[in-house]
Amino acid sequence: MTNISTIANPLRVPRDVYRRYAIFGVCAVIVLTVGKDIIIDETDWARMGTLQEMVKTALWFLPELSFFPKTVGPLLETLLIALWGTVLAVVVSMPIAYLAARNITPIKWITYPLGRGLIVLSRSTHEIIFALIFVSALGLGPLPGILALATRSLGFLAKTTAEAIENANPGPIEAIQATGANPLMVFCFGIMPQIFPIFVGNVIFQLDINIRRASILGLVGGGGIGLMFAEVMQNLQYGRAGTIVVGITAMVVVGEFISNRVRVRLI
Amino acid sequence: MNRLVEPDSGTVVLDGVDITSLGKSSLRKARRNMGMIFQEFNLIDRLTVLENVLSGTLGVTSSLRGIFRAFQGDDIQRAIELCERVGIIDHIRKRADQLSGGQRQRVGIARALMQQPKILLVDEPTSSLDPKIGREVMDLLKSITKEAHIPMLVSVHDIFLAKNYSDRIVGLQGGEKIFDQPTASVEADAFDKIYHEAS
Repeated sequence: MTNISTIANPLRVPRDVYRRYAIFGVCAVIVLTVGKDIIIDETDWARMGTLQEMVKTALWFLPELSFFPKTVGPLLETLLIALWGTVLAVVVSMPIAYLAARNITPIKWITYPLGRGLIVLSRSTHEIIFALIFVSALGLGPLPGILALATRSLGFLAKTTAEAIENANPGPIEAIQATGANPLMVFCFGIMPQIFPIFVGNVIFQLDINIRRASILGLVGGGGIGLMFAEVMQNLQYGRAGTIVVGITAMVVVGEFISNRVRVRLI
Repeated sequence: MNRLVEPDSGTVVLDGVDITSLGKSSLRKARRNMGMIFQEFNLIDRLTVLENVLSGTLGVTSSLRGIFRAFQGDDIQRAIELCERVGIIDHIRKRADQLSGGQRQRVGIARALMQQPKILLVDEPTSSLDPKIGREVMDLLKSITKEAHIPMLVSVHDIFLAKNYSDRIVGLQGGEKIFDQPTASVEADAFDKIYHEAS
């Protein structure tokens, strides 16, 4: 009879364990040396002042409640920018998802790379960069902000939708094809009902993220609360900046709460 | 047969039209005349039974109506009559994924008949069902196609079903036709031959 304790645990082969520790060790050394270089050496420690001074500065940011009514307008504008950006992204992402889904793309070696390329383009660029481009093309205001958000989030939506299409059960698709229906009808009946819950969940997720993104677009002239935030910071009105931060946080938290509720109900 | 799977060789001719050589849009037209019933039913789970039956008309419904699922009144009327005929009239407002296997195949039959097909292609209609329900489905298929004078082409592995429900049997083995006779004249040992040679 073999004593059970003499059987080696296959998950803990000594050689593997040592290798794992060695990898952890190397990673730790890299992180610490880099950290010393860019945090300790490159920071102007003298400028930071004493602990007392730091606390005093932080207290300047205590929200100035009397300023709150003035933030409501820009906050609402931010919300509307997020909403419109998401709606536009939904509309544009549908045809791109159609191109980028391997199983239904019309001409595989042309439209599939095209669809995937557009998705990568949209996902790899920051919304601030898109906003800068649209602001220089269209001028200041909410419209360039909306377009920046739309271009930024359509990639995510198109990608997740295309993947949902690829994972759809081919049975109903074949059944609709067998009736002699055209490709649009095959999409609406064979595919749409299957991907609908996933799609709606992703749209709500993007809306949630877009509220966050919209709040900084104003820094580069894209409309919304960000512009006001940049102004008060430049005028050293830290109390007002604090009010704005609280307002943005409240809006994001409420948005997240609602989006979670809706998504749980959908799934 | 309707080129959901492309044939390796040979031709399929329906009413003098060579299906195998058709282009995309004329193939769609040809498919409108061929009702298809699937082994796995292939219903659209998230739509109602009635909408599933109505999806049989998609070949001839305009895209605009299709997008909004705004089917024509007389189509809806006909769909309801078909649901009545196949015995699922009590369930037409339920979602297709709430039905049992036998009920789902009945929806599949109603959808195929909705096309007013010239021929019904039936792929292993009972393989996903238990034997009793399978026979009920076959009874239903046989009586409906007799009433409407629609020829039906069924693929089955079950000899019992083949012998009891068909007028003519074509035996296939390894892609070759082994025999093609009226059911009544097929000898009992013909089946033994197919299955024993194979094993």
